[in-house]
Amino acid sequence: MGKEKIQINEEFWDIMPEDYRDLVTHATYGKPDRGWKDVGSSTELIAEHSLCAGCPESIAFRHILASIPAPEDTVMVGSTGCTSLVFPMVAIHNIHSLFGNQNAIATGLKRALAVRFPDKNKDVIVLAGDGATVDIGLDMTLQSWFRGERFTTICFDNELYANTGGQESGLMQKGFVAKMAPVGKKFEKVRLPEIARESGCAYVAVLTTSKPSLVERVVRQAVLIAREIGPTYLQIYTPCILEIGKQSMEGLQEMRDAEAAGERFKFREFVTPEAQAFIDDMAAKKKAEKLAATAPSAN
Amino acid sequence: MYYIAEISEESCVANKGCRLCIMYCPEANCIMMNDEKKVAYVVESRCKGCELCVVVCDAAKHNAIKMVNR
Repeated sequence: MGKEKIQINEEFWDIMPEDYRDLVTHATYGKPDRGWKDVGSSTELIAEHSLCAGCPESIAFRHILASIPAPEDTVMVGSTGCTSLVFPMVAIHNIHSLFGNQNAIATGLKRALAVRFPDKNKDVIVLAGDGATVDIGLDMTLQSWFRGERFTTICFDNELYANTGGQESGLMQKGFVAKMAPVGKKFEKVRLPEIARESGCAYVAVLTTSKPSLVERVVRQAVLIAREIGPTYLQIYTPCILEIGKQSMEGLQEMRDAEAAGERFKFREFVTPEAQAFIDDMAAKKKAEKLAATAPSAN
Repeated sequence: MYYIAEISEESCVANKGCRLCIMYCPEANCIMMNDEKKVAYVVESRCKGCELCVVVCDAAKHNAIKMVNR
């Protein structure tokens, strides 16, 4: 899809909803340098969603959608959970998969897009909760990494099944008591980032969404590395404030606490040497472009 | 009656590059920049009243956002 595909026929301009007209005139499609700095002065690719007031997951959605390098050439694959409440409000092509099936669907999609558009970069991004990625869909997730499929997997880790009332999940921390898991978790949080590194992911990062500039850098890198080198995996902490018993304004502090030194979401990334060379190359190119841009104005 | 955020134009420091409330608002297109006046404003119909913007604004000691009943 190019930006021209979302244009409105002039005759229908006046009867289209205002939100859609805003998207045509003010959205950041086709801008290679788009990022969170555009947020606030341009229309975002996500509209009025139905998540709870103050939900950190919606902050993560906003930051990720603002950071995707080429939204017009991206297809997102979602799965069951709170994320599937948001996808109908997202202005990027997206597919809803069966619960846990998202990485298998993304595999087929990526291969089909590569055949259909051989001379174009088409990005596929999987975005699912921790239940879909780690418990129910672990088979599909791991197999896609073993095969080295070139797409990005993003896991919204809220450490439990929040959408259905708080059942125990594999990524829940040890000892945590949820509303529908009163005994407390008996075993450790599954170490999926390490598993991802060993399973062949070229780039793995664990973070919270409390710093938009960090989310932007990581998401950009993950998508571009997936385009060129191999599978990438991001695990983002998006606490469910209802299920852990917080107020609507406390989500940000909860994320900051979870990323403090020694805590479970302290920012860490695993980069293969090949991916590191790609990142360095990208940084060098950007620097050269900046120099080229500032040189004429200095004269 | 709705419980929504309101930004004081006098106290807002968006002209100095502050984008805290815009960055951390969970709602899309809810807190926007007025590019002429260089202040942020709340789109009332989109605000769900979570108070996150008040928290980040007060933490940075700008104190420009208050919750109001409409």
